[in-house]
Amino acid sequence: MIPETRAPLQWRLPPVAVLLTAVVLIGCAEVGGASMVRFKVELTRWARHAMLARPATHGLVGVRDVDERVLDEALVKFDAGLRLFHLHAEGMGLVIIATTTIAATLAGSPASRRPIIVLLTVGGAGYPLGYLVWSGLIPYYGPERGKTVAEWLVWTPFGGATIVALWWLAGLVAWRMMRRERG
Amino acid sequence: MIGRARVVAASLAAAVALLVTLCPAAAHHVGTYVPKDNEITTNFKQIKFSVQAGKFAVARRLFDTGPLQTDMRARAARLPAGLEAGLRAALEGGDGAEVERGLTIFFAALARDLAREATRQTADPTLSREACAAIGARFLEAIWRYYNLVDFAVARRDDRTSVVIRLAFDEATGYAKSIAAPDKLREPLTRIAQALSAFIDASTPARRGS
Repeated sequence: MIPETRAPLQWRLPPVAVLLTAVVLIGCAEVGGASMVRFKVELTRWARHAMLARPATHGLVGVRDVDERVLDEALVKFDAGLRLFHLHAEGMGLVIIATTTIAATLAGSPASRRPIIVLLTVGGAGYPLGYLVWSGLIPYYGPERGKTVAEWLVWTPFGGATIVALWWLAGLVAWRMMRRERG
Repeated sequence: MIGRARVVAASLAAAVALLVTLCPAAAHHVGTYVPKDNEITTNFKQIKFSVQAGKFAVARRLFDTGPLQTDMRARAARLPAGLEAGLRAALEGGDGAEVERGLTIFFAALARDLAREATRQTADPTLSREACAAIGARFLEAIWRYYNLVDFAVARRDDRTSVVIRLAFDEATGYAKSIAAPDKLREPLTRIAQALSAFIDASTPARRGS
C-alpha cells in the first residue's frame, strides 16, 4: 500500500466578472423563456406582419394555399430560435461556471489561464445570442439567409472561441495529468 | 519515445480542434420543420373519418361549422354547380359514397386551380430561372397536399387520370428541382390541370347523366 502523498486539490473560483456574466446569461435565458410564452401572440403577429411586408424575400406567390405553408415554416423556425436561445443561454451559463472554475484551478500559468477564461466567458456568453439574432432576422431575410448571417456574425466566432478554449483547457489538463504521473 | 507520442497526441488534438472549429455550420442544428395540415385538410380528415365510422350527424356538424364549407362557398364560381348542396344532402342521407364523390371533386378542383395558377405564374418572362423553379416547387407541394388526399378515390373512379396526374407530377417535380429547365415546368402543370378538369367534368351528375 503506497501512502497518498499528493496534496488535495484546492478549487479556485473564477473572477467575479465571469460569474456575473454567467448569472446574467442565465437570467436572460429565464426572462427570454418567460417573455416567449407571455408575448407569444404578439411576437407571432409581428413576425407574420414583417414577413407579409416582404413577399419577395420569402418567396410568397399571393396564393393562400401556397403562402400559408411558407409562413408557417418561417414562424415555426422563428419560435424555434427563441426556444433555442432560452435553452442554450441556460446551458452555456452553467458551462461558463464549470469550465472557468476548472481553468482557474488547473491552469497554473496566468499566461494560459487568462486567455482560456476570457475565451470561455466571451464565447459562452455570445454563442446563445446567435439564436436570438437568427430569430430576429427570419422575418427580414428568411430562415436560410438569416441562419447564414447568424452563423458568420455570432455562432462561428463565439462558438469557435469556446471550442478553442475547451480544447486548450483539455490539453492543459492532460499535460498536468501526464506530469503528475511521471513525477 | 514518450516525446514522440506526446507530439502525435497533440497533433491529433489540434487537427480535431481545427476541424470542429472550421465546420461549425454543420453543428448548428436548428430543428426540422414538418409541414402541418392546414385547416381545410384537417376538416376534410375529420369529415372523412366520421363518415367512415358511420357518424353522419357528426360529419355534417363538422362540415357545417368547418372551414371546408367556407372555402367551398368562396370558390363556388369555379366549382361544379350544386356541389355544396349535394354534399350536404349526402351527409343528411347517410350516403358515404356520395360524400366521397363530393369531397373528391372539391379537392380535385383545388389542385386544378393551383396547377393553373402555377402555369400562369411560371410563364412570367421577368422571372429568373431560380425564382421560376422555386415558385414551381412551392405550387407543386401545395398541389400534392390536396391531391394526395383524394388520389385513392380518383384512382378508383378513373385510374387513367390518377396515372396521368402522378406521371405529370413526377415530371414537374424533376423540372422544378433543376434550374436548367424551369420553362419546361409549364407543360406537365398544364397536363395536371387538364386531367383534373376532365375528371371533375366526368364526375359531376349533370355530365354523367348526359
